Amino acid sequence: MKLQRFAVPSLLAVMSLLGCKLAEKSASPAATPIQPAVQYFKVDEAHVGTIKGTIRFAGKKPVAKLIDMSEDPACVEAHKGKAYDESLVVSRDGSVANAFVYIEKGFEGKTFEAPTTPVMIDQRGCWFRPRVMGIQTGQPLQVVNSDPVTHNIHPMGTVNREWNHSQGPGDEPILRKFPKTEVMIPVKCNIHSWMHTFIGAVDNPYFAVSGDDGSFTLPKLPPGTYTLAVWQEKLGTLKQQIEVTEGHDSVASITYKGQ
Amino acid sequence: MNRLLTVLRCTVAATLLVTISGCKTAVSAKPIGPTFAIQPPLGLPPLSIPPENPPTVASIALGRALFYDVRLSNDNSISCATCHNPVLNFTDGNKVSHGFGGHVGVRNAPPIVNAAYLRLQFWDGRAASLEEQAAFPISNPVEMNQSHDISVAKLAKDPEYAALFNKTFGPGGVTLQRIENALASFERTVLSGDSAFDRYLFRGERDALTPSQIRGFRIFIDTKRGNCSTCHTVNDTYALLTDGKAHNIGVGAGDAGAFSDMGRYPQTKADADRGAFMTPSLRDVARTAPYMHDGSLKTLKDVVDFYAGGGNSNPYLDKEIRTIVLSAQDRQDLVAFLESLNGTPPANVGPPKTVR
Ligand code: HEC
Ligand code: HEC
Repeated sequence: MKLQRFAVPSLLAVMSLLGCKLAEKSASPAATPIQPAVQYFKVDEAHVGTIKGTIRFAGKKPVAKLIDMSEDPACVEAHKGKAYDESLVVSRDGSVANAFVYIEKGFEGKTFEAPTTPVMIDQRGCWFRPRVMGIQTGQPLQVVNSDPVTHNIHPMGTVNREWNHSQGPGDEPILRKFPKTEVMIPVKCNIHSWMHTFIGAVDNPYFAVSGDDGSFTLPKLPPGTYTLAVWQEKLGTLKQQIEVTEGHDSVASITYKGQ
Repeated sequence: MNRLLTVLRCTVAATLLVTISGCKTAVSAKPIGPTFAIQPPLGLPPLSIPPENPPTVASIALGRALFYDVRLSNDNSISCATCHNPVLNFTDGNKVSHGFGGHVGVRNAPPIVNAAYLRLQFWDGRAASLEEQAAFPISNPVEMNQSHDISVAKLAKDPEYAALFNKTFGPGGVTLQRIENALASFERTVLSGDSAFDRYLFRGERDALTPSQIRGFRIFIDTKRGNCSTCHTVNDTYALLTDGKAHNIGVGAGDAGAFSDMGRYPQTKADADRGAFMTPSLRDVARTAPYMHDGSLKTLKDVVDFYAGGGNSNPYLDKEIRTIVLSAQDRQDLVAFLESLNGTPPANVGPPKTVR
């Protein structure tokens, strides 16, 4: 009831004259006409362009730290081989993997329909896979546990609700949504302190995670001027304006300076 | 038809005895003869027994017979022991129980062991006594699915039973209240104590527990570590391992605090009781898998890991449930401790020889 009351404050103000009981009763049916049907923005795929880019790091390549799972021997076994810290993965030529790229500005006033296909997080080898992922607001997130041990996934949203959920070996997948834009939502496992992943929740479908070669592609963008934002766990956020024209690849070369 | 029978019988009883307190009390359901003093084993407190149902040797034996009697079910296929099987420590070993006609229930069958100490029965505490509890499963459509009149009539047809009821309670034959009282008295004898843990804590046998179990016990009672005994209580002279209260520990929580089973909430309508279930005793817990009201956790390891991770967040989560930092070794010790709670199985509680 509380939520519905928040949804219809103006209605409630009128209704309060009639007493609380009545207001509560009428709140749900009356709420429907107040929310107009959402007009989703449809991209005209005949007239689109693409952003292609690479992300580099000019600083000293970090030495990958070995992760110690010995505290939970079942994890050591499940991981099969050594586990290295992935908070900053830079290849020999300076390409940055696992950077999150998205369109931060340029779609004001447009609402995109959320896809129904879920984004997956797999807990495998006491490790979140992938390390960084994007999701559209309202799109389902599906969390699976492929491990022989229990995990307790804990997305620490500050804009979205923070939650945590236990998932034992062979348990059903957990399905959740993030209704609001939030870049990034840090995720940890409440049981295994070394497990981390990051979710970028964006209200448009134009986001990507850079590959091992630092590259990313945002295809099928309507022509226009956008703010492209890049987030990296250790290096922070960089932004740049970018122009997309029909039938062309706009190239974004993004370089994080080293300290 | 059943309704009619009840009405008829009530009217007859009422006119005969001029009672206004209803059909149930028309015939005395208080056992006659000397009271049998039930001796709780090491680690359990004295039993509190309702004055109107003092156990006697006869009432306990009758309750035992009834507990194993399939005639209390609609198609003579299910007894109390179908779901509270002595071989499985008075549970059925299923995630949720299967009752009449293969119907699948929604909750895990708890052991009736030590239920005598529970102020409130059932996962949601909806019955106030063992006497009151007994009538529920018999008439529950997904359990034994038999109206109480039929149960009474079926038993009354058996001359041996009719005689036993008269011997136990005095003239008056079979009544529902008598069935309930006898079942409750039998259940009061199904007690488990004298576990390795009891011998360690209450008799000072220091080697009754392994070093791992002792470490586990320390974690269990340390409010800054396991914090388990806040709800699974351990007193100075006894340990029931339940506080007799309902808590939301997050089992069965969905998105944003949606619960498919609201637990105690429908009984109390208190917000804090949304998704809250009665704290189960942990005695014999290693023998009663799977765990929780919905049987969702398969092993004790799963349970300990569930707590270690802070359970499942939801708006009604008990404030005593939080992420606790326990190493894999700590969690293993905690499981080892839980295994020390297996009691000495009570005597004379299996299927009786005389009644089928
Ligand atoms: C079809 C399976 C089934 C049968 C048959 C059955 N029970 Fe149960 N019993 C259960 C389940 C499931 C619960 C838990 C239900 C709940 O909490 O809502 C339960 C709960 C109980 C409890 C409460 C224990 C506690 O810890 O709160 C007692 C006592 C009990 N049953 C006794 C009996 C007796 C006596 C009979 C026979 C008259 C019986 N049961 C028949 C499945 C069964
Ligand atoms: C806030 C009170 C509370 C605390 C603290 C608590 N428990 Fe529980 N425990 C419960 C309740 C309530 C249930 C039943 C929950 C349900 O079924 O939804 C339960 C269930 C269990 C069960 C399953 C028993 C069965 O028969 O299904 C085990 C085992 C258990 N707890 C062990 C522990 C351990 C070990 C700890 C400490 C790490 C602990 N509990 C801390 C309240 C608590």
